[in-house]
Amino acid sequence: MSPNKRVALSRRNLIKGGLLLGTVAAIGIMPIKVLKAEETVKENTTAKTKKQIGFSYDEGKCIKCESCVRICQETYQWESDTPWRRLLKNDKGNALSMSCNHCADPACAKVCPVKAYSKRDSDGIVIHDASKCVGCGYCLYACPYHAPHIQKKTGAVSKCHFCYNLQDTGSGPRCVGVCPTKALTMGDMKELSQKGNLDYKGLPSSKITNPSMIIIPKA
Amino acid sequence: MGHWGWLIAIYLFLGGLGAGAYLASFAAEKGLLGKKTNLDRVGYVVSAPIVAFGAFLLIFDLGQGLKKPWLIINMFLNFSSVMTWGIYILSAFICVAFIKAFFVWKKRQAPAVISYLGAILALATAAYTGMLLAVVEGIPFWNSYLMPVVFVVSALSTGLSLTSLIAHFFEKHQVHEVRVSQIHLGLVATEIVALAAFFALIYSGSQGTIAKISANMLLTESLSIPFWLLLIIIGLVGPLAFYLLQARSNKKALLTSNDQNSALNSERGGIVSLLCDGAVLVGGLTLRCLIIFAALPVWNGILS
Repeated sequence: MSPNKRVALSRRNLIKGGLLLGTVAAIGIMPIKVLKAEETVKENTTAKTKKQIGFSYDEGKCIKCESCVRICQETYQWESDTPWRRLLKNDKGNALSMSCNHCADPACAKVCPVKAYSKRDSDGIVIHDASKCVGCGYCLYACPYHAPHIQKKTGAVSKCHFCYNLQDTGSGPRCVGVCPTKALTMGDMKELSQKGNLDYKGLPSSKITNPSMIIIPKA
Repeated sequence: MGHWGWLIAIYLFLGGLGAGAYLASFAAEKGLLGKKTNLDRVGYVVSAPIVAFGAFLLIFDLGQGLKKPWLIINMFLNFSSVMTWGIYILSAFICVAFIKAFFVWKKRQAPAVISYLGAILALATAAYTGMLLAVVEGIPFWNSYLMPVVFVVSALSTGLSLTSLIAHFFEKHQVHEVRVSQIHLGLVATEIVALAAFFALIYSGSQGTIAKISANMLLTESLSIPFWLLLIIIGLVGPLAFYLLQARSNKKALLTSNDQNSALNSERGGIVSLLCDGAVLVGGLTLRCLIIFAALPVWNGILS
């Protein structure tokens, strides 16, 4: 009699175990669905901030002088291996000057546990407050464009802030101001997004964070 | 890239391990692991210290937070951050598990609400360790809803192994319940299925080519030796075979009821069982390390 009983018991166990694992799976899956749902809701509401400014890069006009990178480094003194702005080049002669893209859905701000990131409602600039940063590195994984970097000296993240302090006093960002050929410009994303996007040469899909930057590829 | 390394992997492992140990003792207390179990105490006792130690390790992975620890308190602030959720879940779990452990240690009956709250928080802790990675869209390999499932099953399995190991050395009365082997067989089998589904989802292409490159690192390239040896063979297939044999031999022992033979078998089985529990723990730690080390960003920062 006993072996049969054993089998029956273990079958019941199997069902119990199955139920338990099902619950576990549901607990794991549900929050992701909630998060995803939250995202789609966000995407559907078009205007996230009152205004969203962004960068525009015209590849055909760029002479690859790197003045934009140099003026940025001179002004903000970032360490060379943790750049705020880079001029990306490939061997086919393509180039792209890129910094933080002040995304409409900034992944960095979403994951930062200490709320060091803030997105200004007046112009959509994403500003990182290094004094709050604990240096956990979560935003470095979250940002698809490698904009935030941890500075070795301070152990805190730093990144481009679109020279918001200069913009508040009426002048433009240093990189845009110094560009000799007007390859790098800035503008309202309402107009810029009519001219292009950032889905270019292996860059990540702009659907992830909605970057406020467009590239006009050379003909 | 690649700022998270060993410390984070060990933290994710310990988070799951502590939560799993709590759940193992909870299951034993509820009679799910057999009538004569000795697993109903030690898991409770070790769970909070293990998770707390893991969280403590995390502090050493911080940049500025290590120099200015008062900033860490702000990690409770951002409700949209999964890391913030984790800080809440872990803090709550550590508190509740400590209270429960206190009752167990004093040999008093804890209020049922404490035990159940602890169990729910333990599940949340185990799920959180996977969620932390699963929500990162910038790392396609992690960005899978099966990630928390794999982590939770591994947490239950490693937690049960640790509880069995500690009970063997520290509990006075020794029992070997068939039920434990059966449950563990189910857990290891589920983990294999979940892991297979995790890779199948990646190779189906739904997470893009970068996720496939990460998966290739584990299956055939730079990380393939620890993957196949430590995780698959030692951590999963070995224990699977052992629990399968044990479940069968127990059935046979019941049929023949040859006392001498089964006593000999169970002693030998006892040692192998300890090795097996150790192997499950090795597999669990290897899993966390491999997942962290195989992370590749959705874009490598170069123009193609």
